[in-house]
Amino acid sequence: MNKEIIYLDHAAATPMDLRVITAMEPYFRDDFYNPSSPYAPAVKVRRDYEEAKHLLASSIGAKPGEIIMTAGATESINLAFNEIGGHVIVANIEHHAVLNCAKLHDHTIVESDSRGFVSADVIKAAIRPDTKLVSVALANNELGTVQPLRDIAQVVRQEREARLMRGDKTPIYLHSDASQGVSQLDVNIARLGVDMLTLNSGKMYGPKQMGLLWAASHVRLNPLIVGGGQERGLRSGTENVAGTIGFARALELATTHRKFESERLAKLRDSLQTALTNAFTDAIVSGHPKHRLAGHLHISFPGLDGERLIFILENRGVLVSTGSACAANKGTRSHVLMAIGMTPEIADGSIRITLGHLSTPENTGLAGNIIIEELKKEYYRISK
Amino acid sequence: MNEKTKVYVGMSGGVDSSLSAALLIEQGYDVTGIYMKNWTADLPGMKCPWADDLADAKRVAVQLGIDFKVFDFENEYKHKVVDYMIEEYKNGRTPNPDIMCNQEVKFKLFLDASLADGADMIATGHYARVENDMLKMAVDVNKDQTYFLYRVTGEALAKTLFPIGEFVKPDVRKMALERGLSTAAKKDSQGICFVGQVGIRDFLSLYVDQKPGAIIDKKTGKTIGHHDGAIFYTLGQRHGLELGGGLPYYVIGKDMNKNEVYVTTDLNDGALWENTINLRDVNWINQAPENGTYQIRVRHRAKLVDATLESNEYGVVLRLDNPERAVAAGQSVVIYKGDICLGGGIIA
Repeated sequence: MNKEIIYLDHAAATPMDLRVITAMEPYFRDDFYNPSSPYAPAVKVRRDYEEAKHLLASSIGAKPGEIIMTAGATESINLAFNEIGGHVIVANIEHHAVLNCAKLHDHTIVESDSRGFVSADVIKAAIRPDTKLVSVALANNELGTVQPLRDIAQVVRQEREARLMRGDKTPIYLHSDASQGVSQLDVNIARLGVDMLTLNSGKMYGPKQMGLLWAASHVRLNPLIVGGGQERGLRSGTENVAGTIGFARALELATTHRKFESERLAKLRDSLQTALTNAFTDAIVSGHPKHRLAGHLHISFPGLDGERLIFILENRGVLVSTGSACAANKGTRSHVLMAIGMTPEIADGSIRITLGHLSTPENTGLAGNIIIEELKKEYYRISK
Repeated sequence: MNEKTKVYVGMSGGVDSSLSAALLIEQGYDVTGIYMKNWTADLPGMKCPWADDLADAKRVAVQLGIDFKVFDFENEYKHKVVDYMIEEYKNGRTPNPDIMCNQEVKFKLFLDASLADGADMIATGHYARVENDMLKMAVDVNKDQTYFLYRVTGEALAKTLFPIGEFVKPDVRKMALERGLSTAAKKDSQGICFVGQVGIRDFLSLYVDQKPGAIIDKKTGKTIGHHDGAIFYTLGQRHGLELGGGLPYYVIGKDMNKNEVYVTTDLNDGALWENTINLRDVNWINQAPENGTYQIRVRHRAKLVDATLESNEYGVVLRLDNPERAVAAGQSVVIYKGDICLGGGIIA
């Protein structure tokens, strides 16, 4: 990566870890065989593939047979919603992949609080007798707020038990999109208490267009893509062996370094946040103050134009975002910021800074100085 | 000290308007960049890349350190340009939406909104020049865009700057590069923006029902094939007839009521050539010229040809020294005297 660039947008995309690339390399040329072919070299590829899925499964505390490889989180989310023939509940700060899937069903969109926190009580109040799916992201991609998934899981479990007690066989599942925060948060399925989990390789230093859906054995799924019957018939198409191997290695690395990395990022983030809020006393930091991804800093500068700040900082080699890349590209205000009740003026002055592997104390400190310098210039420019 | 003249420059995210903004700053104007948000068909596979263009425009404005605003003309654009275009097609004519956009949006709405917001003048990245409130062809005759500007009023031009009208396109790119503008190497936009990458035919078929009708050889009177709506065909058109084999066929007329398209293989057919052109909805930029000989252009970048102009109660009659390939009703003919664009009208 260009030395002069300071990348502060790890929530949008992550550079592949060199160890991930090394793990993938053999499968592009030497071990290119179709894992379904009968001869020995292909059988070896099949074995490696299954081993990678094993590794993925064990990294989240699941069985390999419960994992379906997909081409990214959006596909996983679509697959999770596909079988559902009833009512679904999602929060108003969910990613568009979840919101738009929900809109294909009878749905309730519940409100988060002003910190982007979705409480279990709000979910509980929205559950109806015909509710089949609750979907809440592990962490919000714009604010970094980490959701109380265990509490929500408790609510869903209580509802399931209540239905069983009265002989009602209507299932209810909890799905979580854990695209954000795998490098920083525990994603053990038993501890989260979810029935389905979406993971995204492209946000954890693995290859893009690679994801998975884990679904507990009691969950019924309906394929989006039919064909040769790969992935237990739930996702046909020749297996992406290299991608899966890379994904598995990326998740393994994330799990191993999680504790150290989240502490490291939290320290960097906190010092950057302090520097910015000291320099600009009316700056507003959003997201949950305690339950927030370690590398995440969503900050608003009332009166400034966030999009303009992106280009100003880009000229100095500092890459930040206004929110999710999709929302920014549509030139519209972030639905997340509107959902948490932010005024348009404050929302328009927002930027999202997300730290990660490329962040060091040196470049984060330098970025902080550049941001302060450029923002002061911008405040001066508009004051004229 | 005198206040600097405030200029609002329309920035589309392309190299021409980017350099226009840069040049105006260098010339000492107080410049504000404006992105005009026009209507786009937001349909699968039919995306006008406006969000990217807006980002490109804003990036350049930031580079230049100027204010930047978005003017939202979506509703007006839909009403004045898109609906007009569809209506004209429905009536069997072939309109030019770019001309309508300049007349109704850029040099009316944008001008008015800019003046109301405190601007003294507007500027755009058109290849054209203004001299004494008169519209003059651009120095780059290949790029000259006066054909699209003939319906703009002299009053509007009096408040308009065309900073790149004095330069040829290669120099515009070079100057943009020298100034480090991020759009210096951006490809020129193609076609009608709101239609995006798909053709006008696919766009229209969203608004009008496809109605099968006969394609008739005018000479023999025989039906030689079928089309899916006369609306999609335009005079002189050769391609897209899908008649297969033999000599190419040309459209020489259509009957919208009967939904019939008439064709011929005879390139010398009188319907394909025109000696006399009648214009309606004539616009003169400054004042109506006297009867006499002028130069005309029947399409953008077409060669200028001599014609005798005669005004009458319906509009203007143009008599050509040599017959010209016929142009469809609804298209514009623009009239010049030397390199001055006088105005023009729509083929009746």
